[in-house]
Order: sequence, then structure tokens, then C-alpha cells
Amino acid sequence: MNNSVRIQSYGRSAMVALVLAVLTIAEFYIAIHFQSVIFLMLIALFKAIIVITAYMHVSRLWAPQEEH
Amino acid sequence: MTTVTAALNDYTRQLRNNRMGLWLFFISEAFLFGGLLVTRFFLWGTTRPPLDQTIGLIVTAVLLLSSFSMNLSETAMEHGDRRTFLVGLVITAVLGATFLIGVMVFEWGLFPALYEGHLRPGDNVYGAVVFAMTGMHALHVISGIIFIAIIWNIGRKGGFSSEQHWGVESCAIYWHYVDVVWIFFYPALYLIGTVAH
Repeated sequence: MNNSVRIQSYGRSAMVALVLAVLTIAEFYIAIHFQSVIFLMLIALFKAIIVITAYMHVSRLWAPQEEH
Repeated sequence: MTTVTAALNDYTRQLRNNRMGLWLFFISEAFLFGGLLVTRFFLWGTTRPPLDQTIGLIVTAVLLLSSFSMNLSETAMEHGDRRTFLVGLVITAVLGATFLIGVMVFEWGLFPALYEGHLRPGDNVYGAVVFAMTGMHALHVISGIIFIAIIWNIGRKGGFSSEQHWGVESCAIYWHYVDVVWIFFYPALYLIGTVAH
């Protein structure tokens, strides 16, 4: 595989981390200023979905056969 | 069908089974962590113990960062970049250990010379639930670090390839699962509710 594909993959990984960081800060801000339990749990759920899809590759469970 | 193709087919079939097995394990673990989460809401309601929110944010950031380095490491192996793979694993283990030390020092107060902890497991429902939740999670962080050390050692000796690296993938997925658990524990322990006095 070529270098640009690899660097692109690293970039995607960094982008996901950045989104998670922003959501964590938002969580902290909401907790201090609004104290909304529903909102906090929704953000947590959203973060979990991001990790499960982007980092844990849940889609590989039903993807066509591949190696790894 | 050649012998090589047959072997590859066997491997991919095994890989699908392995993945399914790992996810079934996660589902069974979700009952354990879900039970702890329900316990927290049942016993604490809309209150929470006086845990330091800054410490909570810092240890959470460290764990999220470790998920990033783990993903970087796994991606590196997928592309045959062994050096980044090994470095990524080391960074992940160090960040995991940092998270663990943060919890042990600041939440458990295991080292009073460094920080005087204010909760004890037997004091009240706050101490009991905090120690149960962070303790069970810490156990998984420790097993994750051991898992990483094993994978790092195999990788260092030339094990795994860009085509076949289930060991790396499973280790990464396990580590991210530990992160997902903390994603729910963090607001439940540190953010939701008013501080009980």
C-alpha cells in the first residue's frame, strides 16, 4: 500500500480523536453550566458510537470476507 | 483449490468467528458494567460524591488519547509500518498506566503522601459505588496493558503482518472497549448530579 493511503488513515484517526476531545470538553461545559442528565448521557452515547464505529470497526462483523 | 487458497479461506473463516466471539464477550461484559451504572443511579440519584472534576477530565483525556494511539498502532500494522505500530503500543500502555496511577492516587488515595483520598469503600454508598465502578474498570485497564505488552513482544520479534494480525486487532478493540466503558462512567461519576455533603 502506498504512503499517501497510510497517512490518510492516520489523519482519519486523528480527526476522530479531535471530535472525541471536543465532545468531552462540551460534556464538561454542559455539566458545569446546565446540569442536564439527558444531554450528558446523549453526548456519552454519541461518543461511544463514534468509538465503536471508527475505532472498533464494528462493521467488519458483517463485511465481506477480508484478511487481518 | 490450491493449498494456499484453502489455508487463506480457513483463516478468514476463523477470523469471522474470532470477531463474533470477541463481540459476544463484550456484550456479556456490558451487563456487568451496565449493572454498575444502574447501581450508581439507583443509590445516588441526582447526587454525586465530591470528586475532583479537573482530575476526572484529565484522566478521561488521557484515556481518549490512548485510544487514538492504539488506533494509530493498529492502522500502522494494517499498512505494514512496524515501527509506528510498536511505538504506538508503547504510548498506549504508558497512557493506560498514567490513567491507572491517576485513579489510584487521586480517587483511591492509595498514596496518602501524594494525595489524601477522601472516600473509603466502606464509608457509605458513595465510596462503595466509586470503588466498585473504578475498581472494575481499573481491572480491565490492567488486563489491557498486559495484553498490549504481549502483542508488543510478539510484534517486536517480527510476528504479525499487514495481511494477518488478528492479535493486534483484538487487542485494539479490547482497549477501545475499555475506553467506551469509561465514556459512560465519566459523566456518571464526575458530572451528573449535585455534590452531596
